[in-house]
Amino acid sequence: MANSILEVKGIKLAFGGVQAIDDCSFHIEEGTITALIGPNGAGKSTMVNVISGTYRPDEGHVIFDGKDVTRMPNYARAQHGLLRTFQISREFANMTVLENLLVVRQGQVGESLFGALFRAKSWQAQTKELVAEANEILNTFGLYRLRNEYAGNLSGGQKRLVELSRAVMAKPRLLLLDEPMAGVTPALIERLGQHILELNRELGISFVLVEHNLEVVEKICSRVVVMALGKQLADGTLAELRSNQEVIDAYLGGGARERVGS
Amino acid sequence: MSLILGYVATLLVTFFTYNIFVIGLNIQFGYAGILNFTVITFMAFGAYFYAVFVMPHANNASQVFYILGLHWPWPLAMLAGVVASGALGYLVGLIALKRLRSDYLAIVTLATGTLVYGLFGNNNKLFDGWSGLFNVNQPFQSVATNHPNEFSWIFVVFSGVVMLVVWLFANRLYASPLGRSMRAIREDQDVVDSFGRNSFKVRMLAMVIGSVIVGIGGVLTIQYIGALSPAGWTTGETFVVWAALLVGGRANNLGAIVGSLLVAVVFNEATRYIPQVPSHPNLIPNLRNVIIGGLVILSIWFRPQGVLPEKKASFLEVPLVDKYAQGFPGDEPENALSPAASEA
Ligand SMILES: Nc1ncnc2c1ncn2[C@@H]1O[C@H](COP(=O)(O)OP(=O)(O)OP(=O)(O)O)[C@@H](O)[C@H]1O
Ligand SMILES: [Mg+2]
Repeated sequence: MANSILEVKGIKLAFGGVQAIDDCSFHIEEGTITALIGPNGAGKSTMVNVISGTYRPDEGHVIFDGKDVTRMPNYARAQHGLLRTFQISREFANMTVLENLLVVRQGQVGESLFGALFRAKSWQAQTKELVAEANEILNTFGLYRLRNEYAGNLSGGQKRLVELSRAVMAKPRLLLLDEPMAGVTPALIERLGQHILELNRELGISFVLVEHNLEVVEKICSRVVVMALGKQLADGTLAELRSNQEVIDAYLGGGARERVGS
Repeated sequence: MSLILGYVATLLVTFFTYNIFVIGLNIQFGYAGILNFTVITFMAFGAYFYAVFVMPHANNASQVFYILGLHWPWPLAMLAGVVASGALGYLVGLIALKRLRSDYLAIVTLATGTLVYGLFGNNNKLFDGWSGLFNVNQPFQSVATNHPNEFSWIFVVFSGVVMLVVWLFANRLYASPLGRSMRAIREDQDVVDSFGRNSFKVRMLAMVIGSVIVGIGGVLTIQYIGALSPAGWTTGETFVVWAALLVGGRANNLGAIVGSLLVAVVFNEATRYIPQVPSHPNLIPNLRNVIIGGLVILSIWFRPQGVLPEKKASFLEVPLVDKYAQGFPGDEPENALSPAASEA
């Protein structure tokens, strides 16, 4: 069995009276693309927030790459390669698309005050390299010609692409994608799916994909974790889950069935 | 003739020091999105601490009281004033930047300003209370006492050089990866955090750098005039600096300069020389505030980004290795996954 890069154990988190996550456990294997599915309000986004460190769970542990990161602030987790995107696009609106990408690369010379002031030659050279790298990523995502546009001026779908290319620029080991395909045209969904597959195969990035579109899940995810009412309900391949009565009742049996068929 | 020369020198020094204030605020607000509503308190900190480090021990017989009185040489005292102002920035940052969002931070800065104002004014053992400090040792002291006009022009050059250094510093910071992080934090702090930057640290850096720069402006102010009392740093002065930044254009240091020229020099100074109305001594200063307020409203209404908006970043064009020149892999899914296509 492959190493698990991520493990969540017995996570509980309540918002006032709402038990958003109720004793949920699962693991993600290194180098895989795993889908996290479940009905609206199942607690998927909350789980992404717990894993990335945006929320602290009331109980339970998050273990990333063998380390217990439950008490680690989100930026420190990101420094270890655990990154996430947001369900609603959160681009840096008044910065260009290219800058959006440049910001997120860690370990730049000019990040410290000393480096910024006294090692200008060095960070200028580095920025030049990063621009070349960012341009390539943008080209992959079809954003190259928009690279000097303010990110805030892009369309909803283009912002989703910025969100994803920015995450790629940050060189994650595990990337949590919260509904990256929401509000994106079918043609683009196809392409995004292909990009995710490629990133997984070429760069070895592991993915957790929160996604309602089961067609996409079927195409690119090797394993599926189902959440309902804040709990982990089942996991396995989508084919296995299709024959699981509990899953059908909770999720597949609802409106999602039409989408599977479409 | 010499009167006009002296006046022009004073205008230039005012222009330079306001530039420094506005650039300091620009780093806090324009770069990092920090709402500092008590800019002038940092100016006062720089000025007062410079004064008590440079002046000799307080002479109790003269009924002027102040702390320290170390009689340091002026360059060292200048440093002390700047450090004091930076330290205040750090303290406010500790209280406000860790947990509070920008609107609450704004309230904390306002509260700090009011608190410091009351404390420094009412306690006459600190910086001589409401009467303030005067006869503060100036740089180039012998020139200052014997040839005031020459002093003014020497100081124009001195403050101009300081301003130039601040300007170069601010621009380098803006273009650097650190400056880029600051601007990203201004756009969305949480996202910056979730990409592995400790946004608290970066915001703190912007807060302290801004405070230090405003402190430098404060030291220059008191060095030039040789005196400062609380009447010289009322809350209203903070809004002159804000007005200059908003009218000129935030996140653009050239805009900051245009703003301080327009607001701090042209409007502020021009209205100063309108003759007083004897029956209403406060009429003109109040009118000045009305005019500046109106200017801000007009500029926000018609040019929300300021006269000179933030410049769009441009990078040297780097040739693109066009891996997907023939279209996107999504168009031909099979092909995209073959080894040939994945080879760059
Ligand atoms: N910040 C919050 N404050 C209060 N309640 C919250 C908060 N965030 C989530 N919840 C609640 O927690 C539950 C789980 O929400 P969550 O957003 O995680 O669902 P989800 O599985 O991502 O749903 P969707 O598929 O619609 O995105 C919901 O009942 C929601 O109302
Ligand atoms: Mg969600």
